[in-house]
Amino acid sequence: MAPPAQAQRSSSPSQPSGKGEVADVKSQLRNLAGSRAPGVDDSKRELFKKVISYMTIGIDVSSVFGEMVMCSATSDIVLKKMCYLYVGNYAKVNPDLALLTINFLQRDCKDEDPMIRGLALRSLCSLRVTNLVEYLVGPLGAGLKDNNSYVRMIAVMGVLKLYHISASTCVDADFPTTLKHLLLNDRDTQVVANCLSALQEIWSLGGSASEEVSREREILLSKPVIYYLLNRIREFSEWAQCLVLELVAKYVPADPNEIFDVMNLLEDRLQHANGAVVLATAKVFLQLTLSMTDVHQQVYERIKAPLLTLVSSGSPEQSYAVLSHLHLLVMRAPFIFSSDYKHFYCQYNEPSYVKKLKLEMLTAVANESNTYEIVTELCEYAANVDIPIARESIRAVGKIALQQYDVNAIVDRLLQFLEMEKDYVTAEALVLVKDLLRKYPQWSQDCIAVVGNISSKNVQEPKAKAALIWMLGEYSHEMHDAPYILEGLIENWEDEHSAEVRLHLLTAVMKCFFKRAPETQKSLGAALAAGLADFHQDVHDRALFYYRLLQYNISVAERVVNPPKQAVSVFADTQSSEIKDRIFDEFNSLSVVYQKPSYMFTYKEHRGPFEFSDEIGNLSIGTESTDTVVPNRVEANDKDLLLSTSEKEETRGLNNSSSAYSAPSYDASSLSVPTSQLSELAISNPSVSGNVPQPSFAIDDLLGLGLPTAPAPAPSPPPLKLNPKAVLDPTTFQQKWRQLPISLSQEYSINPQGVAALTTPQALLRHMQGQSIHCIASGGQSPNFKFFFFAQKAEESSTFLVECIVNTSSAKAQIKIKADDQNATQPFSSVFQSALSKFGMP
Amino acid sequence: MLQCIFLLSDSGEVMLEKQLTGQRVDRSICTWFWEHTVSQGDSPKLQSVIASPTHYLFQVLREGITFLACTQVEMPPLMGIEFLCRVADVLTDYLGSLNEDLIKDNFVIVYELLDEMIDNGFPLTTEPNILREMIAPPNIANKMLSVVTGNSSNVSDILPGATSSCIPWRTTNLKYANNEVYVDLVEEMDAIINRDGVLVKCEIYGEVQVNSHLSGVPDLTLSFANPAVLDDVRFHPCVRFRPWEAHEILSFVPPDGQFKLMSYRVRKLKSSPIYVKPQLTSDAGTCRVSVLVGIRNDPGKTIDSITVQFQLPSCVLSADLNSNYGTVNILANKTCSWTIGKIPKDKAPALSGTLLLETGLECLHVFPTFQVGFRIMGVALSGLKIDKLDLKNLPKPPYKGFRALTRAGEFEVRS
Repeated sequence: MAPPAQAQRSSSPSQPSGKGEVADVKSQLRNLAGSRAPGVDDSKRELFKKVISYMTIGIDVSSVFGEMVMCSATSDIVLKKMCYLYVGNYAKVNPDLALLTINFLQRDCKDEDPMIRGLALRSLCSLRVTNLVEYLVGPLGAGLKDNNSYVRMIAVMGVLKLYHISASTCVDADFPTTLKHLLLNDRDTQVVANCLSALQEIWSLGGSASEEVSREREILLSKPVIYYLLNRIREFSEWAQCLVLELVAKYVPADPNEIFDVMNLLEDRLQHANGAVVLATAKVFLQLTLSMTDVHQQVYERIKAPLLTLVSSGSPEQSYAVLSHLHLLVMRAPFIFSSDYKHFYCQYNEPSYVKKLKLEMLTAVANESNTYEIVTELCEYAANVDIPIARESIRAVGKIALQQYDVNAIVDRLLQFLEMEKDYVTAEALVLVKDLLRKYPQWSQDCIAVVGNISSKNVQEPKAKAALIWMLGEYSHEMHDAPYILEGLIENWEDEHSAEVRLHLLTAVMKCFFKRAPETQKSLGAALAAGLADFHQDVHDRALFYYRLLQYNISVAERVVNPPKQAVSVFADTQSSEIKDRIFDEFNSLSVVYQKPSYMFTYKEHRGPFEFSDEIGNLSIGTESTDTVVPNRVEANDKDLLLSTSEKEETRGLNNSSSAYSAPSYDASSLSVPTSQLSELAISNPSVSGNVPQPSFAIDDLLGLGLPTAPAPAPSPPPLKLNPKAVLDPTTFQQKWRQLPISLSQEYSINPQGVAALTTPQALLRHMQGQSIHCIASGGQSPNFKFFFFAQKAEESSTFLVECIVNTSSAKAQIKIKADDQNATQPFSSVFQSALSKFGMP
Repeated sequence: MLQCIFLLSDSGEVMLEKQLTGQRVDRSICTWFWEHTVSQGDSPKLQSVIASPTHYLFQVLREGITFLACTQVEMPPLMGIEFLCRVADVLTDYLGSLNEDLIKDNFVIVYELLDEMIDNGFPLTTEPNILREMIAPPNIANKMLSVVTGNSSNVSDILPGATSSCIPWRTTNLKYANNEVYVDLVEEMDAIINRDGVLVKCEIYGEVQVNSHLSGVPDLTLSFANPAVLDDVRFHPCVRFRPWEAHEILSFVPPDGQFKLMSYRVRKLKSSPIYVKPQLTSDAGTCRVSVLVGIRNDPGKTIDSITVQFQLPSCVLSADLNSNYGTVNILANKTCSWTIGKIPKDKAPALSGTLLLETGLECLHVFPTFQVGFRIMGVALSGLKIDKLDLKNLPKPPYKGFRALTRAGEFEVRS
């Protein structure tokens, strides 16, 4: 229907080229316009159909606008509908002509038939021509008061359309207030639902008038309104139910009893035939119980079956979306799904993106009792026709092996892969065997025996080749012909295109040299010479480094290249837990399907910057009551929230390995993060004070464990880096604000320039944003302003929440800081203070 | 919140476009989508949610027609997908089936339907019963009527009673001369059988389909003899939750016509009705294939429409396959399909033959998966049995009919 016709595929023979036909139709319409002959409606109908079909295939028929309007005087409802459709499509391009339609649309708005009233009203509001809004107010007002619910329902949506065209007209006519009234009083649930959706959109767009809007939102999320909607939920249409459930998910119940009441009421929604309702209900359950560890776990158990049914019963399109959500839950709480592993078996016909999700879930749910079955199943996929899936399943086997303590059977399977003589299977298996050996060096004998039989000529992929070479170097003392294989590879140095492989070759031949010097000396010389002549900077540098090292002192060189290695206990995860948490908060949204939080893919302007930011208005009530909560209890509660255990292990594992493992370069990427952080902290803390073991404190701090004792008296606290792109959604802010104790309460004074600059809250917002401190809500008028800020540490998810009340007449700012990490409050406070003091400075 | 809906033909042509909000979505998005689809190669199964450079797209493919919806805001993905599925269902219901010509011939009705189903990007009603009252389906009776009376409007004159009825899925004043209600149990068996003949996974997805032609506002109660076999159930909105929770009884006021009353899943079944035993042995560049099919557990009724299908691995140069019963076809895309039908009394169907492998390949490494189809009338393999159906609020007792059917869903045998 887009007016520009050039977007058309002109190749299709059935499509008319446009002009001639349109002119023809135009003249015919003109002839019919005034006619009152019997049967004229039928001919009109044919012509209208033709016009609409031209419009549908993309031909610009806006030139017959006038004739269409002239023919629109009819009682035939189909003609009317076609005409409305046409007018709605072209009015925006022809604002002058659109005026012609107002007359007949307004008349239809007063028709006897409610259907026609409704349709006319809908079309009237869909014209979307700015200078015609004055004609909308009257019919809309009448529509909102119409006896028929069909008309009211359309009128409510009309109000929203009007708001989009001209917000001021809409507000001046006091329509939002009418909608609020209808929301709470209309007996038709579809009208109520439309009010809800319209009001939410209006308020999210009108974020600038924050004070008033925040009060409205507060009312919407208040107990009476939520209960009113919940009690009627069965009367709502399935789509309206989704809307209500989404609202309920944002509701913060006062006490556990309320939570259970809501969940009992919504229990049966999990058995609804519409998947969207089921997911929205699941979201409510998950959100409500976030702070109740054991109930939260029960919720997982409860929503498991409906989700699994949705996956197997829906169309492939639905299955995929549900599966993405299931994937999220499985990744957070794999143990709950460990007995359902068979649901994640891949079917032959499934598209590969589904198989990929299923493979990840199979990997996650593997535990002592089901590993055998899962690995057997995964091995079946290795012979799959779909090569990427075959690769993925071999990797999955490897990941399971790395998770498990009893790897006996798995190693056998992996070694069988090596004997399958398919190049990609061999390649993947080699990479895995390498990882396995790094974690379980005790298996080297069995593995090496098989790896030794692989001809390096059959391995072409750089990653696999690098893995093979690493094993040759590392286990050269156990592999009989390791030096000779390496020699062969070095002879073909020129043909080796991958720098990664050449780097490994250098290291491997070094290692081999220290174990079997006589056999390797010649090839080491050749390798170093080739390396020095290499055009790749890294290869050249490493060769030079080894050469100088050997020149300097052979035994030092040996210690550098062949140090005793400690097994890697846990490999780093690719997706950070912070991102996973954020995706979880956005359950039942596109984020889950993309496996990215929405800030990573939606445009800022579409997110609605102030969308829910003003729910925080009611925070101050909660604050006083939570102040008395013992800090430790809250912290422990937060940490043991069902899912974070694995992440804790992960961080501990990293810590262990990072200090022990120092092999040159090998896959250092997984380890480099903590090491560099450690060193950075150590460097930034040059003045280690007295007998306090400062570095160890830094490590604990880094792990976010929090020390129960008072922080060490650090004379110069480490400079705090804040994440400039920190994101926190208002619900989380709200929850955190209620959970955390106040770690610091202070009063700062503001310099006169700052006072002068603070005419609106927005001025300070922008300034603080520049300092990586973000505002989530603000309000007030001179002289009193109130802000809620938040900030995040640059490297981790530790968050700081700030309530800041500024009084410009006394030039004082009262600050309350709450922090995930109590120890970091002081440094953050100084950052905040300095940021505030710069406000207003040129 | 959806911004626009497009219907694309199987050649990527835009058949219909419906803008939903003030933010007009340009048609070029369809071109982008189509190029994206083509670039995904021959796998027709595209992700249902796609991020294009400007919009997030939901797509649902039905009978070669792509239903495409665009949005720029975060929204529940299932809402978009479910809605498109419903649009497809409603159109199928209205037009009898779904294809390019039908949509092009009836595009005015499609526009009218979309107009009532979604307003400003938010779904309103997708209940076919209500829609049918607002917009009359284009059936033959209507055409006859219009010719006779000269009134060719396909819109009913009155506003649907259901919009104001307290039971949104049913109109109040229905009248039938012959009251009848049919209840069908339709089950699909999904199974994976590994190369040793072991049942790795076997479960049933079932639906209770009801076709009701009853006058007035009848109140129905359906109970099962053994509801304990059900693992997870989902209901049509008409089912009252409490009776089910308390006594596992389905109590409901049915919509008019055909609808899905309930769907359920039965897990961990122990046996399959038929067996399929494939055997592949390679030797010096050729592979001998033999597949045996027979009845494992007699369900007591005839098993018919048995088919076995498998994809020949790409390393197979040619295949010579024969069967002692039924017909074997090798299609152009190297799919071998063996149609058996019913299993004869006197012999066990067997397929045998040889596959010639690519030169240089000694033996087969990639083993095909055999997909099996079958149908059994009169039996619900999950064992679920309907106990009784009671009807209240009816002037005279109606005719009640019960049927059961089980067919193969994703029934796979690995070799």
